[in-house]
Amino acid sequence: MKINKMESKSLKETIYTTELENGLQVFFMPKAGYTKQYAVFATNYGSNDSRFIKPGESEITSVPDGIAHFLEHKLFEEPEGSVFDKFAHLGSNVNAYTNFTSTCYLFSSTDRFYDNLKLLLEFVRTPYFTDENVEKEKGIIGQEIKMYEDNPHWKVFFNALKAMYHEHPVKIDIAGTIGSIGRITKEDLYTCYNTFYTPENMILFVVGALDEKEVFSFIHRSIGDEAKKGKKVQRVYPKEPNTVVQSIIEEKLAVSIPLLNIAFKDNKNGLRGRELLTKDIATKILLEMLFGRSSDLYMKLYEEGLINDTFEHEYTGEIDYGYSMLGGESKNPRKVLDRILDYMQEMKQKGLQKEDFERVKKKQIGQHVSYYNSIEFIANTFVPFYFKGIHLFDYIEVLKEIQFDTVQERFLEHFHPQQCVLSMISPK
Amino acid sequence: MLKRLAPIELDQGIKLHMIKTDKFKTNLIRVYLQRPLVREEVTKNALLSMVLPRGTKSFTSSKAIAKELENLYGASLSSDVSKKGERHILQFALQLPNEQYLEEKHVLERGLKMLNEVIYWPFLEGDGFRRQYVAQEKDNLQKKIEGRINDKMTYAVERCIEEMCRNERFSLHEYGNAEDLKEITYDSLYHHYREIIGTSAVDICVVGDLDEKEAEDLIREYFQFKPGVKKIIEREEIEFAPKTVNTVEDRMDVSQGKLTLGYRTHVPFESHLYYPLVIFSNILGGGPNGKLFKNVREKESLCYYIFSKIEKFKSLMLISSGIEFSNYDKTVELIGRELEEMKKGNFSGEDIVSAKNAIITSIRSMTDTPGMLADFYYTQAISNYQDSLEEIIDKIRKIDKEAIVAAGEKIALDTIYFLREKKEGR
Repeated sequence: MKINKMESKSLKETIYTTELENGLQVFFMPKAGYTKQYAVFATNYGSNDSRFIKPGESEITSVPDGIAHFLEHKLFEEPEGSVFDKFAHLGSNVNAYTNFTSTCYLFSSTDRFYDNLKLLLEFVRTPYFTDENVEKEKGIIGQEIKMYEDNPHWKVFFNALKAMYHEHPVKIDIAGTIGSIGRITKEDLYTCYNTFYTPENMILFVVGALDEKEVFSFIHRSIGDEAKKGKKVQRVYPKEPNTVVQSIIEEKLAVSIPLLNIAFKDNKNGLRGRELLTKDIATKILLEMLFGRSSDLYMKLYEEGLINDTFEHEYTGEIDYGYSMLGGESKNPRKVLDRILDYMQEMKQKGLQKEDFERVKKKQIGQHVSYYNSIEFIANTFVPFYFKGIHLFDYIEVLKEIQFDTVQERFLEHFHPQQCVLSMISPK
Repeated sequence: MLKRLAPIELDQGIKLHMIKTDKFKTNLIRVYLQRPLVREEVTKNALLSMVLPRGTKSFTSSKAIAKELENLYGASLSSDVSKKGERHILQFALQLPNEQYLEEKHVLERGLKMLNEVIYWPFLEGDGFRRQYVAQEKDNLQKKIEGRINDKMTYAVERCIEEMCRNERFSLHEYGNAEDLKEITYDSLYHHYREIIGTSAVDICVVGDLDEKEAEDLIREYFQFKPGVKKIIEREEIEFAPKTVNTVEDRMDVSQGKLTLGYRTHVPFESHLYYPLVIFSNILGGGPNGKLFKNVREKESLCYYIFSKIEKFKSLMLISSGIEFSNYDKTVELIGRELEEMKKGNFSGEDIVSAKNAIITSIRSMTDTPGMLADFYYTQAISNYQDSLEEIIDKIRKIDKEAIVAAGEKIALDTIYFLREKKEGR
């Protein structure tokens, strides 16, 4: 077993890594002085992957929407009951989440780390689905779906995705619908499990005040000598047009004040690795320069009472899609949209200020360093970056090196008014 | 584990709590001003927490403050109000990256200067706060108060408390209320600020890689505290024996019903039964191994989330869940049954071990988050509690089943709150 060591001088942190015989990538980051240990076992399989060609086959398999999330729930089930009890006995917290591109199983512990890790590796690798336990879960997930139906922040976000994407499965709710989960069978679950829960499609990330030799030898002993299958699944994504579906989408819910999300669909797709990371960082700096607390626009809209301190911005950059999203509460979302589009026009003529760039860059450097306080942040950010061909430690280096020109160029190619959608939730 | 240092009294009623550790990338400074939770001032305190960060003597606008924070490598400055029992806490926090990761010096000093100004040197116009800032923040607070309905899960818990404690100070929301907000004028707000800035007990928690002496010197140099006789805050009343169960229903256009059950525990946090009570609540509804999760969710598929928690200072227990409207009776009955079973002692040694381990894990885990550490020491300080983390853990380990049942027996249901669909839907 060859262990590679990667050090970040900027962060004063180290990550060790190895690949097991069966193809599983394992990472460990020591965190001296920390009481908690944290491990994430993740598969590069999320709600976007509902159409695929199984290894060795030529036909496309289609499964019901929401199945990746359903599978996540059911993996906790074991012949002798739920694995929750075993973690509970150790006093540790086990959990899981599913997003568009991955499913992550994790625990945090402060004691008996290896007993916890053993449990994690076992339960994720031994599915147990029966007709009965699949049926039972439908009621529980049905209530989870209903909980999100009453969540205006979730609704305003998802409606924006629906308004942006014609074909891409990112427009479909992660949990599916009550109708689609009703069609899920245990056979479907096994199909997805066998296709996507293969060592080559997964990674294991461990962080805490532990000894690296012990961590790797334990993992190696537990799962190291399985053979590599070597066959990869082929994911089928439909071709997504560059246009948006509709420029305005509105829904009414029981809220006190309208909520808005304004999204700009990104058409520069297909990047991975460092190129994708550079685009990600350039866009984030740009958003902060244009819409952050120190921007002219934020201050004007705030003082006019059009936005309040809930106004935030973010960029999401996946390999095959991406978007910038702004949003918060506003008494007049349409007016906010008009003001933002006018402002973009004006800024494209006036140009960005280098001084703002330098200041925002400093802010992002400091914030990124600060995030390393949290072992949860480290693990949960490492995983999705890795699936995009990015090593988390590269983030700070690319950020430090990024030039004003790159951000200016990005400004000119992103944020076209015809790529923009407004999603609103209005009071009923 | 961390060494517990005795607080340093910087001035009368002003204490510094230093939590020295080199494991974080940041330094955190939290300043807590303690006020009584009373109707006359709760709304004003909330409004102050929003007006003060709008401008200071040297940084006269939020934009100027934002620019300075960016220059300080993304330092975060926040101000907020919270409830700790029947105390209303006005809190300010500054977190900045440790200089060893930066290419500049004196970032901490500049941050402290700003924090001091936000609290003690607001931007003044004439003989009070800038009128425009007050007017804008009144409008923002109004929206915040109205916006409580937007998060239905939290709203259902807050409404249950409001109804259960309607004749007690604890029913007040930390943001205050809309009627009182209307009455606040520029003069009354500034007058209130002048009043509380000298008369509130102040606690400062510093979490970071600083020596005690170094931290003390910095705080003394950069902070200009206002003198004054500090207000003493009365201990909460906790003895209320509900004669009948109060049921309350609100109607709103929602997809899922939100149920909250409010209980009086009659166990003060000073009591030897307090940790047994925490264990009791954990076995009942502390997580996926709890009785409620296992029976109401896993066995009956009635809900996705269900939990039970203890309100320390006010001696309440709250159980909360999201269910179908039509499953109200069934769920209330099931929760009642699980609670009764536990009161009879029908839980295993294994349940106790799991609950203790879960609580110990969460206590230990706090030490990995600067904000939680600061808050833990502050809560200890205001409850006059001297035990270290290890001493608390040790006490928890020694608790037996008898004590857990004894604590559970005191719990009495007071109020059932249900947020449900509009009438025509039924």
